[in-house]
Amino acid sequence: MSKSDAQILTVKASDRIVFELIKGGLTAARREMEAVITRTSMSPFIREKKDFFTAILNRDGELVVSTSLTLAGNLLESVLKVYPINTMIDGDVYWYNDPYFTNGAVSHLPDMVFITPVFSDGKLVAFVECWGHLWDIGGAVPGSISPTATSVFQEGIMIPPVRIIRNGIRNEEVFRIFIQNTRFPDLLEGDLNSIMAACDLGKHRVEAIIKRHGSIALEQAFEEIIQQTQFAIESEISNRIPEGEWFFRDRIDSDAVTDDSYFIDLAMTHKNGNLSLDFSQTEKQATGPINFVMHDSVPKFMLGLFLTQHDPNVGMNAGFQRAISDVKTRPGSLLNPISPAPLGLRSHSMFRVNSCLFGALAQATDGKSSAASPVYVLYYLRGKSASGGEELCIEGLSVGYGARSFADGLDAVYYVAQENYPIEFAEMEFGVEIESFSFHKDSGGPGQYRGGCGIVRDVRVLLDEMTLGIRIDNCKYPAFGVNGGLSGGEGKVIINPDISKPVELKPLSDGNKLKYGDLVRIITPGGGGWGSPYDRKASDVLNDVLDGKVSPESAKKDYGVVLTKDQRNVNETETAKKRKTVLTSKKMFHRRDFYNATDDREDTYKS
Amino acid sequence: MEGKDFSIAIDIGGTFTDSVIANKKGEVFKVAKTASTPNNPSQGFIKSVTKVLKLAGVDPSSVEVVLHGSTVVTNAILENKSAKTALITTKGFRHVLEIGRAEIPRESNLYGWIKPNRPIKPRDIFEISERIRHDGTIILPIDISNLNNIVKVLKEEHYNAVAISLMHSYANPTHEKKLGKELRKLLPNIEISLSFEVLPIFREYERAMATVINASVQPIVGSYMKELTSELENLKITSPLFIMKSNGGIFTPKEAAKYGVHMALSGPAAGMSGAAYTGKIAGYKNLITIDMGGTSADVALVKGGMLQTSTGARINHQPLALPIIDIHTIGAGGGSIASVAKNGAILVGPESAGATPGPAAYNLGGTRPTVTDANLILGRIPPHLLGGTVPLDENAAYKAIDEFVAKPLGTNVLEASLGIIKIVNETMHGALKLMSVERGLNPADFILTAFGGAGPVHGGDLMRLLSASGLLIPRYPGILCANGLLTTDLKYDFALTKLQRANNYDYNAMNLVFEDLEKSAQLRLSEDRVSLNRRVINRAVDLRYAGQGTELTVNFPPGLVTKQTTQTAVKEFHDLHKQLYTFSDDSSPVEIINLRVQALGKSDHIGPPLIMKSDGNEPKNKSVRRVVIDQAGYENVPVFNRETLLDGHEILGPAIIDQLDSTTLILKDQKLKVDKFGNLLIRECTNE
Repeated sequence: MSKSDAQILTVKASDRIVFELIKGGLTAARREMEAVITRTSMSPFIREKKDFFTAILNRDGELVVSTSLTLAGNLLESVLKVYPINTMIDGDVYWYNDPYFTNGAVSHLPDMVFITPVFSDGKLVAFVECWGHLWDIGGAVPGSISPTATSVFQEGIMIPPVRIIRNGIRNEEVFRIFIQNTRFPDLLEGDLNSIMAACDLGKHRVEAIIKRHGSIALEQAFEEIIQQTQFAIESEISNRIPEGEWFFRDRIDSDAVTDDSYFIDLAMTHKNGNLSLDFSQTEKQATGPINFVMHDSVPKFMLGLFLTQHDPNVGMNAGFQRAISDVKTRPGSLLNPISPAPLGLRSHSMFRVNSCLFGALAQATDGKSSAASPVYVLYYLRGKSASGGEELCIEGLSVGYGARSFADGLDAVYYVAQENYPIEFAEMEFGVEIESFSFHKDSGGPGQYRGGCGIVRDVRVLLDEMTLGIRIDNCKYPAFGVNGGLSGGEGKVIINPDISKPVELKPLSDGNKLKYGDLVRIITPGGGGWGSPYDRKASDVLNDVLDGKVSPESAKKDYGVVLTKDQRNVNETETAKKRKTVLTSKKMFHRRDFYNATDDREDTYKS
Repeated sequence: MEGKDFSIAIDIGGTFTDSVIANKKGEVFKVAKTASTPNNPSQGFIKSVTKVLKLAGVDPSSVEVVLHGSTVVTNAILENKSAKTALITTKGFRHVLEIGRAEIPRESNLYGWIKPNRPIKPRDIFEISERIRHDGTIILPIDISNLNNIVKVLKEEHYNAVAISLMHSYANPTHEKKLGKELRKLLPNIEISLSFEVLPIFREYERAMATVINASVQPIVGSYMKELTSELENLKITSPLFIMKSNGGIFTPKEAAKYGVHMALSGPAAGMSGAAYTGKIAGYKNLITIDMGGTSADVALVKGGMLQTSTGARINHQPLALPIIDIHTIGAGGGSIASVAKNGAILVGPESAGATPGPAAYNLGGTRPTVTDANLILGRIPPHLLGGTVPLDENAAYKAIDEFVAKPLGTNVLEASLGIIKIVNETMHGALKLMSVERGLNPADFILTAFGGAGPVHGGDLMRLLSASGLLIPRYPGILCANGLLTTDLKYDFALTKLQRANNYDYNAMNLVFEDLEKSAQLRLSEDRVSLNRRVINRAVDLRYAGQGTELTVNFPPGLVTKQTTQTAVKEFHDLHKQLYTFSDDSSPVEIINLRVQALGKSDHIGPPLIMKSDGNEPKNKSVRRVVIDQAGYENVPVFNRETLLDGHEILGPAIIDQLDSTTLILKDQKLKVDKFGNLLIRECTNE
């Protein structure tokens, strides 16, 4: 009998049913909070891209139910530093965005956190929380985030934990100060109202659950929901990861400000049933904004979600944190930077943290991890409209994700829950014309399971002058392949590709001047492949060719699949011949060439 | 029977086909249930027409109209059984459909999620050189020199349908029209769908998806319509046939053959129409409805007597941005399977035993316990369904619940059964709340209407959980879809994206658009031979605050578009925004995005006839059943036959009302009242 069986059978059946009712009620409450935000926020970032997060927390601030995003730190701790629990009353709402003060509760400034205590008979029993990514919070450039920032002070206004609502009454002074600091006050006010309305709804829903089942049952259910997740992950870890120690290192192209690349380093140890993740050999903090104030919980959530991906019943919550014993980072390093290191592009480091976990897991599990995914791409076009107003286009662009050990990587996705702009919307709103939008052919790393393809977006500038900020990573260090799979294709950004002298921009840069009629071609990277491409079904390779995801040349060269002359069928004879001469490598990883994790770890960090 | 005034309604579901025959005078109202014939739906259709005609003793020549709700399109979409379809789109955008909106859905695990298959692959998509801007300006004239090559491939590869969706075609359809015309010449036998006709609204991915789905179901709907028409003619029924649309209205077979995509939710829309009608005759305009069947439950709203539509529907994971009744479907039905997971979690649905093998009690091979099995153990449903024709095996239900739920939980079958019911109720409760909160409404202001075979037995619990002000059970809850067909109107939606920036509204341009849309609307009604006095034309606009990415639809006054009439709509937008989203901003600029016109051809609505008035005597129960209402365990509960209940009868819970197509459970401290149409209205005694 496993640990979980023993725990749960001691609970009476009627309590089990009440537990399910509370769990169902909490899940529904959180979805209702999301519904309010989706339908009431104003800025495109939240409305269209749905860049927000909702959660219900226990009285210690542990997540009980939440959005399945891997970006969630301890949301409460920093509030308690300023406002002890015994000073909180019903009707309060607390607010912050400062990653440094909050030790990475959020990890860049635009994510605004609101948190509301919930009381039962005067006793604080829970919190509800929402955060959303705001469109512009001041700083050096419209949209606040710039690849060229060298200090967090250039990235917008910082809000330490403040009590924005006391006993139901909003602190208008604080609110006005904040609104004064944005270039788009109407949008911001709308978004903040929306997020606070969602908190308020969540609070009422939790209160209704207390009324129905009592606060004792609620708090017991909180604990059990967390434990269910914890036990599920503990059992996955013990079943799938043998005891041992594995190292992995992955690299970020540059920090946007300098041309230096940076590495993230992981030592994963599984010993005596404890799994620990040591990132302390990671390189020193960067000059540019790729620094990541990484809360402990981030790699835990990544690993936990990966291990439980086939079990939809495992909810995301503090059980992930409890199941993995410890995470180390070194102060002054990329993953534990010291203020005022800039943070706006922290997702570049976050994705490499994820790929380090895959790298370590691949070694621990004979390759049963995913290949690496590149970080999503964003571009910022800033200009003045005919009427002199600020025009700002921030578009997130999709990339190809890493192949899995059971399926191809996802073609053209951005990230969880975030939608791209329709082309017809972007053209109405942003003073641009999108001339084409297609897959980046051959960018999916070849493999038995192919890496996902990135995309190509051609953007024509239709304002007199515009400035372009762009962030594409994975150009120098494309997403690696695993277990015989090859690395994904690189990203690139080219101005006027069709003229005789096209200009290739630095893929991580800002302040690029554009004029009316310029065409910006943004090419995003693809994901790594999994398993030997010679093991991929020839018919799947043909389909990829027919669908414009793989070229006939790559089919032959990388997959050993020869097509008929009209490129509509597989030439079986030639393919069989070609596939006999497969070159296999015993090395686990591939980035332009096969390598082992140890090959990549000769240098130590520059402190 | 004399006079040509009979209406026949046929609703074909996955398992059963329900039919009604009724006349306007209210003398006849007969219902029947037959088995569906999924492999040949027209055969099942005609079988049930024959059956009700015989049942009512009506001559085919006396039939004035035949109405039909169908799952033909729904199944074609869900099971990917539609025609081999190609898409022609603007050069540079062949991959738009496959890329979609590039998101990993919110509730999914990013490491394990797999992108759902689109109805067609990029290899089925062809590009043509042309470009139009969002304001309708042609910046690159269409070049059809490549068309012959495309046609060659279409022929060689045996495509049966073609969709055309070009960039910004809503703003200027010239290129789509031209391409469509050329293509029809070259491919005279292939159905062609143009996006500006299917969905002339901006957002290229969603518009292309709707157009592709329409094209892909066109051949199927076309031949189905032909079969129905000729089968009816064989029966000597020459009266018109109307088909239920997803927007809650009906349309002609001719229109259905062209725009089959509008039948995507034909079945549920008929049910909603029936629910709205039931509310209307019972005197309630605001309903929150739940239609609980075998595998799923649909939740929807009726506001101000109108069933609500939205353009945010998803079918088989794909967006379908047409006006579709606004329903939220969850995996909770009579066939939902209950189990205990490894970690102790009790799961009820979304996994379902469906109609086959069905609940354990059906004895058709199902061994896993379902909601129906739990209801049977608790005595909440009778030991047989459909008036005794389907016996239920209590031992099989007991065994299944014992093995899969009670034993793993360490409890008895009774408590396990009660738990299953409570959990599935909680799931539905969550969906009901979500539906209302998403629209800024308080469920306590609504009457809950529960229907579908399984709805009425859960209705009392749900009303209590939701604190709804009452519970309404229609006369025939199990066949409300067929009933609903008798209460619909011809309903066509016309729309066009015509962006109007704040403070720069072009009233003249809006006038022209409305005039155009209304001309199309009148033309359509004329084609359907709707007399002038039965025509209703309504206008609406989709508005948003500048910067927002989604729109809200509000009514727009008829007549000349002026600053004043526009302001009326803008004010309604602020009010609706406030109601839905808790805030509005009168100082914020408002943009007009889409202009809409809805054309109605009103028909005579036929409901169940009046029932007899009670003479003041208490209703008599037919029997007593041992039923578990709550933790107290089995108790003797009177069982009434629905057919014997009369207008004005009142029953204090606990009580059970059995009828052919459903069972209603009234809890303790709930009181039932029968109205003159035979509807049951149940309220909490504390609300009396």
